Amino acid sequence: MAEEARLWLERIRALPLRRRVRLMNVCGGHERSITMAGLRAALPRDVELIPGPGCPVCICPEEDVYEAIQVALHEDVTLVAFGDMLRVPVNVPRGEARSLEQAKAAGADIRPIASPQEAAAIASSNPGRRVVFFAAGFETTMAPVASLLVQGAPENLLMLLSGRLTWPAVAMLLDSGTPGFDGLIAPGHVATVMGPEEWQFVVDRHGLPAAIAGFTPASLLAAMYSTLRQLLDGRRFLDNCYPEVVRPGGNPTARRHLAEAMEVVDAAWRGIGVIPASGYALRPALAARDARRVFPSYADASRKRAGEMPPGCDCAKVVLGRIYPNECRLYGKACTPRTPVGPCMVSDEGACRIWWSGGVRDNPAA
Amino acid sequence: MCLGIPMKVLEVDGFNARCEAKGIEREVSLFMLQDEPVEPGDHVMVHVGYALQKMTEEEARSAWEMYDLMLAAADA
Ligand code: SF4
Repeated sequence: MAEEARLWLERIRALPLRRRVRLMNVCGGHERSITMAGLRAALPRDVELIPGPGCPVCICPEEDVYEAIQVALHEDVTLVAFGDMLRVPVNVPRGEARSLEQAKAAGADIRPIASPQEAAAIASSNPGRRVVFFAAGFETTMAPVASLLVQGAPENLLMLLSGRLTWPAVAMLLDSGTPGFDGLIAPGHVATVMGPEEWQFVVDRHGLPAAIAGFTPASLLAAMYSTLRQLLDGRRFLDNCYPEVVRPGGNPTARRHLAEAMEVVDAAWRGIGVIPASGYALRPALAARDARRVFPSYADASRKRAGEMPPGCDCAKVVLGRIYPNECRLYGKACTPRTPVGPCMVSDEGACRIWWSGGVRDNPAA
Repeated sequence: MCLGIPMKVLEVDGFNARCEAKGIEREVSLFMLQDEPVEPGDHVMVHVGYALQKMTEEEARSAWEMYDLMLAAADA
């Protein structure tokens, strides 16, 4: 693999780039591989790699996390969520639980899980309790959640869904007129599930090169080479640099399950706002499982900074690729993985967390 | 949590499979792979306990190399 990566790197270095080119990735997994393999330093100076909207935990609405905390405070409720979600902070007055972790410390029954099947198992072994699965994630996570519901889950398992689709965020950036990138590295596992065709609009509607990448340095570098080469040659197409698992049409069973259990709705992204047709909601047939219908709404317009990032946190700009993580004034100062201020430092897929783990310590903004 | 992990299938029982990666064994759901037969010895890309797609052994191996790199850096 190392050999293959080196070959791609040589090919990229041989390209006659004459101006700065910005490539955006939209997957926390990609950003992790890029950072850990040190690809930024290895690439020519003129190639900029920008981490974009690739972290579902980071953009999970603040209101949804707040709602999950309130639901978890019910006596008869066990709340389960992917581990990353437990430390995501909400904006509440001093003395109230600021995260699921704090609610747990205050006595709420909250359990981290790693798989939807664990949620079902916990519901099965606690028939007397309502088990609420607070599920945030992109298509790669929502398809397994949908599969679980289609296959059949215990009746006492309720869903608090915060699922999002990745491509609409990229479409929003492109429609904004200032996308901030010249080519797109599209997410390999999202395309594995949904099919590569979803990303064709980047080429057709916006005239930008795009390539789907896997998670090894070789696959990522191949995708970078493809987009750079397309820019130089004046050609545009959607390249598939992860054909091992990305097939035309994606995974048909997974898509069938998604369509059966969920519908696509307009949805809020934390710190960013509503993006049309970018979220998943349970279909009406599953209303009895929908925590949003079963529990009262905890939306409170008077709650200060509802929906926003924590004060001083630039996560929204980081997620949109407007700034690099270390351009936030708090990066590495008030905000580190030990004392995270915002969700981008909490989540394993957050760019701030990834850059810190990758050893980026300088902060030009501080 | 979005990290896909390649695993080797050891045993298949209906929609469930016992899979292995780097000496760690896990129960994996094959419910999303109904359009493709999965057999012991196959490799699958697993995400949150569900197999997303089949893959070749070679691709699985190069992905594992990448994860070794990440695990080494994760606690930095
Ligand atoms: S460094 Fe911390 S405060 Fe700044 S954007 Fe990242 S998560 Fe938010």
